[in-house]
Amino acid sequence: MKKDLADVPGRLAPTSTLEVDHVTKRYGSGDTEVAAVREVSLSVAAGEIVLIMGPSGSGKTTLLSMLGALLKPSAGEIRLNGEVISAMRENHLPDIRLRKFGFIFQDFNLLSALSALENVAIVAELAGIKRSAARKAAAILLTNLGLGDRLNFLPEKLSGGEKQRVAIARALINDPALILADEPTANLDSKIGHEIMRLLRQIAKKQGRSVVIVSHDQRIKDIADRVLWLEDGQFKDMVTMATDPVCGMTVELDNEIKIEWEGQLFYFCAKGCRDEFFSHPEQFSSRSVQPVKG
Amino acid sequence: MAGRMSLARRNLLQEKTRMALSVGGVALAVMLTLVLNAFLSGMNRQITSYLDHSPGSLVVAQEDVVNLLGATSLLPGGIMSQVEAVRSVDEAIPILSQFVILDLHGKKQPAYMVGYDPDEGGGPWELFAGRQPRTKREMVFDQVLAERHGLKIGDEVEVLGKDFTIVGLSDGTTSWMTSFFFLQKAAAENLLLSPGSTSFLLLTTSEGADLESTLQRLNNLPGVNALTKQEMAVNDLKLFAQVFSTPLKLMVSIAFLVGTMVVGLVIYTATVERQREYGVLKAIGARNGVLYQVVLVQALAASLTGSLAGVLLAYGVAQWIMAVRPQFLIVFDPSDAVWALLSGLGMALLAALFPARVVAGLAPAEIFRR
Ligand SMILES: Nc1ncnc2c1ncn2[C@@H]1O[C@H](COP(=O)(O)OP(=O)(O)OP(=O)(O)O)[C@@H](O)[C@H]1O
Ligand SMILES: [Mg+2]
Repeated sequence: MKKDLADVPGRLAPTSTLEVDHVTKRYGSGDTEVAAVREVSLSVAAGEIVLIMGPSGSGKTTLLSMLGALLKPSAGEIRLNGEVISAMRENHLPDIRLRKFGFIFQDFNLLSALSALENVAIVAELAGIKRSAARKAAAILLTNLGLGDRLNFLPEKLSGGEKQRVAIARALINDPALILADEPTANLDSKIGHEIMRLLRQIAKKQGRSVVIVSHDQRIKDIADRVLWLEDGQFKDMVTMATDPVCGMTVELDNEIKIEWEGQLFYFCAKGCRDEFFSHPEQFSSRSVQPVKG
Repeated sequence: MAGRMSLARRNLLQEKTRMALSVGGVALAVMLTLVLNAFLSGMNRQITSYLDHSPGSLVVAQEDVVNLLGATSLLPGGIMSQVEAVRSVDEAIPILSQFVILDLHGKKQPAYMVGYDPDEGGGPWELFAGRQPRTKREMVFDQVLAERHGLKIGDEVEVLGKDFTIVGLSDGTTSWMTSFFFLQKAAAENLLLSPGSTSFLLLTTSEGADLESTLQRLNNLPGVNALTKQEMAVNDLKLFAQVFSTPLKLMVSIAFLVGTMVVGLVIYTATVERQREYGVLKAIGARNGVLYQVVLVQALAASLTGSLAGVLLAYGVAQWIMAVRPQFLIVFDPSDAVWALLSGLGMALLAALFPARVVAGLAPAEIFRR
């Protein structure tokens, strides 16, 4: 199966920059008000892969939704190529989402009644492309993603990895400058997850699109140009982070649960992991402290 | 546009049971609407049948009598020659008619007796079998009523204590309320013990006559009420049909509502179940209008298919009812089918309202929540 996007015709995505300027998102009001994202600033360059990590509830999805014009910030500005999309009127946003962004979701979110081909083509049709042209473009894209023999399959007949590739094709069909992905590998086994990561990297590097990924998946760090740590709605310094050698979770360095073994410091997410480490230290110690690159 | 259509079609086809259910619901509702309406027009046609087929364009009745079927009319003696003397009246055909209760082997059966002069007219306009009465002991009986009671030509029927022999069977004189039978006028006079009496005069007017002024002149005669046949038919309709038309119209409205609710409920649940998918479309950049179209096309497809099926079903059911119960006349107007499709359209539009609200209310950002 050949999954290479290099030879997709006409793929020279327009370069664009996304700027997030002191963006805040508050949910609710009064006593129940939650500031999910607080004064966050960020700039994503064309062809750059940015990975946003952070504990559950830290505001990752909220931030991603604002980047994708799905949600309006309570304060601050989001600019796409200098255009302030966060201030746009509601009825301009669908077009922005349709043409400028490609979305990839954890649970694929394909339309169950449509075939792989139609799932991709319909998005082009929404953008005003004629049916036959849309189908042709979708077929080429899916074939390049190794799904040439799955074009007429319904989603229920596709494996998780195939579904995610259909979703990637759908995200790419309107030639967006930016790909936004929320946990794109969470529902896939590690081999398939790796393939998807490779694809995302190609999308950024060969096609010059910006890719913003929200994930807990440590392996995505390998393909990311930049890893950001979001906590309590704010970016924190990543140098203070370490990886639990047992479960692989990212933990903070001021964590209480740590031990020294053979002259090295090890940090754990919970006592359970520490106890497991004690039972077979030699098995885990090779995966030593990995201070995350800032 | 094509993308929306195919999504709507795929969504429908993916849920075959659901589609069948909504199509079936609409079909039944439309069928009921059509059959009830056609039944109403059939009933109307039956009620005015005698007036529609009798000769002439004007009717002279007793003073204050405005119906043929509603009241007993008795014209003043000697009026005949006075009426015929009125300018532009060509011919006056007398009939003596009245509701009577027949006793057909123990079953009471109301029927409308018409005494007429076979040489003049005002009798049966179409004979299914046999001939007109030649003597005072012969009668023409309604064919459908005869068949229902197993009566044939040559059988005897007792009317107000006297026996008459059936010599002819008439067509188009039936109604589930008022079947007609015909005697010689002299025989009817004998039965009603009023020799020489006349209930109504059916008038033909000379060509180019002004009906209004003719009526005016007729109404100047003492003790009579002259009116057009159409007016009288409308009065009969008011008297009988309106009793039934209100409940029938109510049933038609209920059928429409039920049809709308079936489609509405089916499309609503289908939409709610697919909320997430509509949310995905919205997040990806589909406008509300696009999603409305997808929902509306589904509702339209279900209701219009259902309406068409309902039209076919209605024709089938009507044929069946009329075969089993010939006293019921069910008359479809071609415009009824148009109405059925229009009501299907109306059902779809109403049915799509709530689902459209569901779709409109979806927040695109919800798509990232699980
Ligand atoms: N629609 C909402 N209304 C109110 N509060 C919300 C809403 N959406 C999110 N929140 C709150 O905002 C905070 C950030 O949520 P968010 O979903 O962005 O976190 P996350 O980092 O994506 O978490 P996870 O890793 O579990 O997906 C949480 O406290 C959450 O409860
Ligand atoms: Mg999240």
